[in-house]
Amino acid sequence: MGKIEWAMWANEQALAAGFIYLTGGIVGVAGQFSGWKFAAFGIAAGVFVCLLEYPRSKRIKGTNFERTGQYCFTVCVKAFGPLTRNYYVRAFLHAVLCIPGGFMLATVLGCVCLGIASLIYLSAAIHGEHWEPILPEAEPTKHVSQSIKQPPQNPPPRPPADMRRKRLDDLEAAAYVNPIPVRE
Amino acid sequence: MGLSLRSWIANEGGKHCILITWLSVSAWIFWRTFILYCSGAEYHYLHKMLGLGLCISRASATVLNLNCSLVLLPMCRSILTVLRGTRQVSSKKARRLLDKSKTFHVTCGVAICVFSVVHVGAHLVNVVSFSVRYSDEFPALNVAHYRGQSVPGITGVLLVLVLFLMFTASSHSVRVGNYEIFWYTHNLFILFYVVLLMHVVGGALKYQTNVDAHPPGCIPANQTRAHSDTWPNQEVDGELVAESREMSLVCKEDAHFQPHFPQTWLWVLGPLCLYCGERLYRYIRCNASVTIVSVVRHPCDVIEVRMLKNSFKARPGQVSPTLSSAVMNSSSCPTENKETFGIHVRVVGDWTACFSELLLPDLEHSEILPMTNQRRYPKLYVDGPFGSPSEEVFNYEVSVCVAGGIGVTPFACIMHALLDEWRRYKLQRLYFVWVCRELNSFYWFAELLCGLHRKLWEQNRPDYLNIRLYLTTAQELQNLTDEKYRPLHSRLLIGRPKLKLLFEEIGRSNQHKKVGVFCCAPKGVSRELHKLCNSFSASGTVFEYNKESFS
Repeated sequence: MGKIEWAMWANEQALAAGFIYLTGGIVGVAGQFSGWKFAAFGIAAGVFVCLLEYPRSKRIKGTNFERTGQYCFTVCVKAFGPLTRNYYVRAFLHAVLCIPGGFMLATVLGCVCLGIASLIYLSAAIHGEHWEPILPEAEPTKHVSQSIKQPPQNPPPRPPADMRRKRLDDLEAAAYVNPIPVRE
Repeated sequence: MGLSLRSWIANEGGKHCILITWLSVSAWIFWRTFILYCSGAEYHYLHKMLGLGLCISRASATVLNLNCSLVLLPMCRSILTVLRGTRQVSSKKARRLLDKSKTFHVTCGVAICVFSVVHVGAHLVNVVSFSVRYSDEFPALNVAHYRGQSVPGITGVLLVLVLFLMFTASSHSVRVGNYEIFWYTHNLFILFYVVLLMHVVGGALKYQTNVDAHPPGCIPANQTRAHSDTWPNQEVDGELVAESREMSLVCKEDAHFQPHFPQTWLWVLGPLCLYCGERLYRYIRCNASVTIVSVVRHPCDVIEVRMLKNSFKARPGQVSPTLSSAVMNSSSCPTENKETFGIHVRVVGDWTACFSELLLPDLEHSEILPMTNQRRYPKLYVDGPFGSPSEEVFNYEVSVCVAGGIGVTPFACIMHALLDEWRRYKLQRLYFVWVCRELNSFYWFAELLCGLHRKLWEQNRPDYLNIRLYLTTAQELQNLTDEKYRPLHSRLLIGRPKLKLLFEEIGRSNQHKKVGVFCCAPKGVSRELHKLCNSFSASGTVFEYNKESFS
C-alpha cells in the first residue's frame, strides 16, 4: 500500500468520535437516563477530545490542510510538548476516556468509536508518526550581501590611456589581458 | 463585476433546482411520517407509550430510506456514461447536471449521517420509554421483557460503526493523502446495506391491525356494565354517541398488533441491485488485460502509456479513474489507426513511482522506447471509459479550455480529434489556456499544439485556435527555444494568467454567444473561473462553467 499516514485518519475518527460521545452524553443527561453520571462524564470527555483533536498535524510529505481557525488550538496543544506530540500517549488517553462510556447505553457508541480511534492512533505510533504543529512560516529576512555596504574606493585597474587607445594598424599588440577577470 | 442573473441561472440554476427539489421531498416525507405516527389511529397506543421519540425516530427513518436509495444512483458510472452519450434523450442541460453526480452523492451521504444521529438519539429515548412505561395493558406492544429492562439494538450499533468508518475516511484530507484508506473503507458499503436490511426486520415497533373493531381509546366490553349502572337511561351498544365521549365506544375485540412490513427493502433493493450489477459489469469488462504498445517518458516526471484493448470504444475526453488520486490521466487519445488509446501519468505518490519503475526500470533521461519482444511489462487493467464534462467541448460554438499542469490531458485528446477532422464539429473557436510551473512541461504536447496550429493556418482558419501558455514560476526569462515550436514561442507568457481580462476579451469578440468554459486545474484557478462565469458580462455573452475533477 505504500506509506500511509495513519494519523490523519485517526485524527478524523477521534474528532467524530468526540462529537458522538458528546451527543450521546447530552441525550443521556437530558433524558435523565439511569446512570446519567456516565453521560455527564461523556459530555466532558467529548468536549476535551474535540478540542485536542481539532488542530491537524503537519503532513510528512505534501500540502497541509488546516482546519478553519485552528491556529489558537495549535498553540494550546503545542504547549503540552511531548504529551501531545507522542501518539502512544494519545492512544492511551483515548482508551482510558472511552471506558466509562461503555457503562451506559447512550454513550456506548461514543465509547466504541473512540476505542477504534485509539487503536488507529496506536498503529500510527508504531509506524513512528508524531504530531507536528502547522505554524505559519516566518518571512525569510532579506539577506543583504556584504559588498553593498562597502563600495569600492578605487576605480578598476586599467593600463594607461595611450595603450587603451584603439590602434587599428597593430591589433595584436593592442590587445591586453584584464588583471581582474571579467564575469559574463 | 457583480453577479449577473442570467449568467448565474445558466451556471447554477439547474443544480439549485435539484437541491431544492431534494430538500422539499425530504421535508415532505419527514412531515408526513411524523404526523402519521403522532395522530394515526393504528399507532395510538404505541404513541402513548413512547411519545415524541416514536414520531421523530420513524420520520428520520423514512428520510434515511430515501437517502440510502438515492446515494447509490450517482455512483453508477457506466449507466451515467451511457445516458450522457445518448444525444436524443438528454439535452446539454441534463448532461451538465450529470457532471454534478459526485456532489449529489456527497450531499446524500451527509444527510444520511445527520439523520442517523437524529434517529439514534430518538431511539435512545424510545429505549428508556419502552423500559419505564412498560405496558401491562397491551403486552404485545412491549419490546422490553420486563419493566426496567434496557434493550440493545445490535444491528443499529453495527450500522453506526460502519457509517463512522466510511464517513471519517472520506474527508478531503484523507482522500488526498491516502486514497487507499478511502477506497477500502468505502467498499464497506455492502456490509452497511446487508446489516440495514437485517435491521429493519427486527419488528420492534408494531402497529394495530384491527382499528375498526377496536377504535383506540375504546372501553373494553367487560367495563361497560359498571358504566350502565350510573347512567341507566343511555343505551350503550358500540355506536358513537355525540354527547358524552367517555362512554361512547365499546371494543368489539382486543387490540391486535403486528410489526410492519420492512419498507426499507422496497426503497433500497432496487438501487442496490443496480449498483452491484454495474460493479460486476465493470469488473468483468476490466478483467480483459490491455496490451502495452509503447511507453514514453516525458520531462517533469510524466509517463505516457499507449495501450491496446479489445472492444474498447471511447470518445475524446473520456477518463479512466484509477486507485490513486495522485494519478491524472485521460484515455482515448486516438492515434492514426484509431485502435490504441493512451494515458498520461504524473509520478507523484508511491503507487505511481512503483508503476513507473515497472514500466521503465532503468531510464534516466527522456527517450522514446518502443516495446521490444524481450521486455516484460506488468499486466495492466484499465477501468473505464467514463463520461466526463470535457466531452462537451465540441457542442459549443466557442469553448475556453483552462488547464493546469497535467490537467491538460483531456484537452490534448480534444486536440487530437480536431487534428483528425475539425470541420464536422459544432465548435468554431477554441481558446486554450495552459498554466504550468516548469517550462519542460510544455514539451508534453508542444508537437500536438504546433501541428494543429499549422494545419488550421494552412486550411485558412487562423482564428480557430487561440493558444495562451503561462509559466508561473520563472526566475529568469525562458522560452521554448526549439525552432519547430515557433508558434508557441510568441504565445508564451511569464506569470499567472489574468483571467478577468481574458474573459473580457473573449466576451468582446464573441458577443451574444454561449461560451463553454472547461477547467481542469487546481482549486484556486477553478474557483476564480467559476466566479468569473457567474459575473456580469457587458457584451451579452454567457459563460457556462464545466469542471473536471479526479478525486
